[in-house]
Amino acid sequence: MSNELSAKQRTGLIVGIVGIIVVCLCAIIALWAGKSVWDNVRGGDGGTGAAGWDATTAELTVAVSPGMAPTFAKLVEQFNAQAAKTPDGSLMLVRTLTVVPEKMVEQSLANPPFQAIAPDSSLWLNQLDRRWVAAQSEGEASLIPIGNRRFGDPVRYATSPVVIATWEGVARELGWPDRDIGWKDIQQKATADANFKWNHPSTGHASGLLATLAEFYAGAGLTRGLTEEAATAQTTLDYVRAVEATVRFYGEGEDVIVQRLAAEGQGFLDAFVAQEQVVIAWNQSQSGERLIALYPAEGTLWADHPLALLELGASGEAPLTDNQRRTYQALVTFLTSPDVQRQLLAAGYRPANLDIRLDETGSPFATAVAVDWRQPQTTLQIPSANVVEVVQNVWWYTKRPTNVYLVVDTSGSMEESGKIELTRVALRSFVEQMRGDRDQVGLITFASTVNVLRPIQPLDDAGRSSLNRAIDQLQAAGNTALIDSVWEAYSELTLRGDPEAINAIVVMTDGQENNSRHSLAELQRRIQQERGTSVVIFTIAFGNDADEKLLRSMAETGGGQFRRAKETDIEELYKIISTYF
Amino acid sequence: MYSTQSAENVGGIKNGMERTRWVFIGILVVVVLIIGVSLVVRAVTGGDTAGAELVLEKPKTITVRVLTALPVEPWVRSAAEAYNASNPTLDGVAVKVEIIPMDGLTALGRWDRNDFGALDAGANLENLTEAQKTALESFPTVWIPDSRYLVELANASYKERLGRDVFLTDGEYRARPIAISLFTWGIYESRATVLSSKFGDITWNVIHDAAVAKGGWPELGGDPAWGFFKLVVPNPNKNAGGLAAMVAAAGEYYGRTDISVADFTDPQFQAWLRELMGSVTDFSSASAYTAEDFALFGYSVGDGGQLLESDLLQNMQGILTRWDDPLKIYYPKYVTWFEFPYTIWVGPETSALEKNAALGFQRFLLSEAQQKAALAYGLRPTNPNVSLDATPESLFVKWKERGVETVVPRSDAMRSPDRETLLALLRWFQLNVAK
Repeated sequence: MSNELSAKQRTGLIVGIVGIIVVCLCAIIALWAGKSVWDNVRGGDGGTGAAGWDATTAELTVAVSPGMAPTFAKLVEQFNAQAAKTPDGSLMLVRTLTVVPEKMVEQSLANPPFQAIAPDSSLWLNQLDRRWVAAQSEGEASLIPIGNRRFGDPVRYATSPVVIATWEGVARELGWPDRDIGWKDIQQKATADANFKWNHPSTGHASGLLATLAEFYAGAGLTRGLTEEAATAQTTLDYVRAVEATVRFYGEGEDVIVQRLAAEGQGFLDAFVAQEQVVIAWNQSQSGERLIALYPAEGTLWADHPLALLELGASGEAPLTDNQRRTYQALVTFLTSPDVQRQLLAAGYRPANLDIRLDETGSPFATAVAVDWRQPQTTLQIPSANVVEVVQNVWWYTKRPTNVYLVVDTSGSMEESGKIELTRVALRSFVEQMRGDRDQVGLITFASTVNVLRPIQPLDDAGRSSLNRAIDQLQAAGNTALIDSVWEAYSELTLRGDPEAINAIVVMTDGQENNSRHSLAELQRRIQQERGTSVVIFTIAFGNDADEKLLRSMAETGGGQFRRAKETDIEELYKIISTYF
Repeated sequence: MYSTQSAENVGGIKNGMERTRWVFIGILVVVVLIIGVSLVVRAVTGGDTAGAELVLEKPKTITVRVLTALPVEPWVRSAAEAYNASNPTLDGVAVKVEIIPMDGLTALGRWDRNDFGALDAGANLENLTEAQKTALESFPTVWIPDSRYLVELANASYKERLGRDVFLTDGEYRARPIAISLFTWGIYESRATVLSSKFGDITWNVIHDAAVAKGGWPELGGDPAWGFFKLVVPNPNKNAGGLAAMVAAAGEYYGRTDISVADFTDPQFQAWLRELMGSVTDFSSASAYTAEDFALFGYSVGDGGQLLESDLLQNMQGILTRWDDPLKIYYPKYVTWFEFPYTIWVGPETSALEKNAALGFQRFLLSEAQQKAALAYGLRPTNPNVSLDATPESLFVKWKERGVETVVPRSDAMRSPDRETLLALLRWFQLNVAK
């Protein structure tokens, strides 16, 4: 009996032990599984980076300023064609992203969609440095206040001084080549001669920033040592305001100016501020009167094209992989190699490789009269990053005021693919970008009829919220009275008759004109005949069904631009157009 | 009765045995659970026994990571390539040298903030997490800053943190200079001729007078197209040479080699220094490679300045190729020397093998062949057996007519600033120039 019991007990015990061990094993497996989940939650040290990319990726995205972007993209294509690999066999691949330098700085501060930056000037790196250190030292101040940088040591791969580009005839009128021409000569010419048309890009570009700094220096009666106080003195602001009133329009950058010069011919502008490379490239590709590079007598600035790797990881983003660093190094080696440096020289840039002579046979500098490799003789003193920021901010209050009508299609087709919602977002972005204290914006919608939702009004707090409320209430329904809506906006602007301001219409449609009382020919005739207030017309074709031919004609008549937009970039396009004002 | 008692006894014994078995099973279960849970917990926290293996296991390759100051980086990198090509080994393990270029002051800032991730005092390698171990894989084995004073400042910082030096000044692992250079005037010849004929020898005071000339170059007798006099000194936030230039200027202002915080806080001196620095065209875009900038942008950004002799010599050809005016070198009365000490980190973050491999590369740099190679980079060898004209590639031979001298004329060497003076200078620069 006792043996039987013992046998049962033994069996029971074995079953119990096995059961308990199974339970323990299950518990351990469950804990392991839990660990994996925990690792994922906290971004563990597994095979992938914390976010964004694989831990072994060798792909690198470089943000490039718009002027350099086409050349840079061609060079990157050559680099990628080499199909170089890292020691672990990953393919080194570089992608480029065109970004305006000012925006590059902004995006670099946290979770940028790129890992390296190539702005047009080191000025932007300095701004990034300053803003990064300020953001990082909010908590505690470092004893040795240096070395805490968002990017590694930059490398320069090309340079080009900023010049005043002007037609040879205009240059000779100004006294070239017998005397040095300066910023003051251009400013005086522009204020004295109403027919003189000049332009500089917005302060988001190195050339625009330099032209603006030169105005502030002249206004303050200084040639160096510009301070915040001097920059914001009323006399300085009055001077800058007077000069800025002569600027025909602002805009994206010299690349777009060149496109428009090519499209509209010599009469479009008499002079514009750009890199020396633009002059060389223009003269190489265009026939007719050549452009001349005037090196400002008071001094200029260098677009020194730095390339720098961002030290990611401090803002919660994924840190760079070793392979990305290798790709960056390989790209730097490639860009500074003699062959690529000679390609950059052929494109009109001054190569960073100092072994290459600018006057060597075949160099665009060797025989050119339009550019001079011995120049510039002097540079304008660049104020500290703080003063530069003040100039950038104050410029909004000195720049030429803008009266702009946003003319928006609210016909039934805008309901498709969420276009109306995207338009609301884009319009709000546009309004947000307009920061001048004298800028005024109005809103006109068109469907079967034209509706002036908000007459033009100043963008003070009340004006902004009123405009944004109207934008939020946009609804799509009806036909497309496109021409009548532009007619209406044109009438409103000419009625106001504000010749000192930039008067503009930004009209967007996704469809075909089908409900206007006026014809395009009538509108064109009216614009050509009325010589009063000049109104610039920007047209946007949203999607594939818009009447591009009509929009192009309208923009051409209005001396503006025609642009295409998709659902993915409509907001960006409105932001870009806002830089023209 | 007996039977009953006997049966009860048997039952008691059986119950006792059952209890023992259950206790045994309980212990077994607890042990299994403890082992399982501890395994999981260690895995979750990243701890395992790999720390011990890190010490005991022989690595496949020993990597010597050398944080190198920018003026010597081209030479050290070239030496590292030659060294790696010779397939060096230590205790049968392959050695590889990796160069990480970094300005001395930038590196000091990073040591000071412990950006490289040195362990806390008393930290045990065996208890490190995987992330900490991975971070240590890129910890610098060697630091070659511009000057010995930067090593002293880093040591002072770690002494506060760890209670001990991390770079040694004596013994086998002591900091040893691998090459030297000094700060000299580099001025475009056309500009130097004008200055010399008006003021005589080039000094900081002459430069100051040129800097404050309200009429610019025409007032000094130069070409109006040159604009104002433009000084070139490195940005002290990016290059140790910037601080050296300010210290040298102070030395000449006071007529002595030892400069203190009190000297830098004297309002009269500060006004003088502010005027001097006010003639620098662009601190903002100046990179850490000032002499290279000087060559790239030429006289448009600077008429002249005080820069490291080796930097000027390395960029002399570029200046002559690119610009329509040659550069001339002049030696100041108060000179600042950079001796580029090869400094091995002695903490537990790097293994004994790595430290000894670092010594091997140090011996290579100090060899006669490499010291001769340094001449081609404009660096003065520390090996006394190597003369400055020892090779035809020597830049001291090549640029003799540009004013470089093998024997430095009679001069006073500036003493290195102490920590407080360094910080006072940096703060002054931030408040008065950078802002």
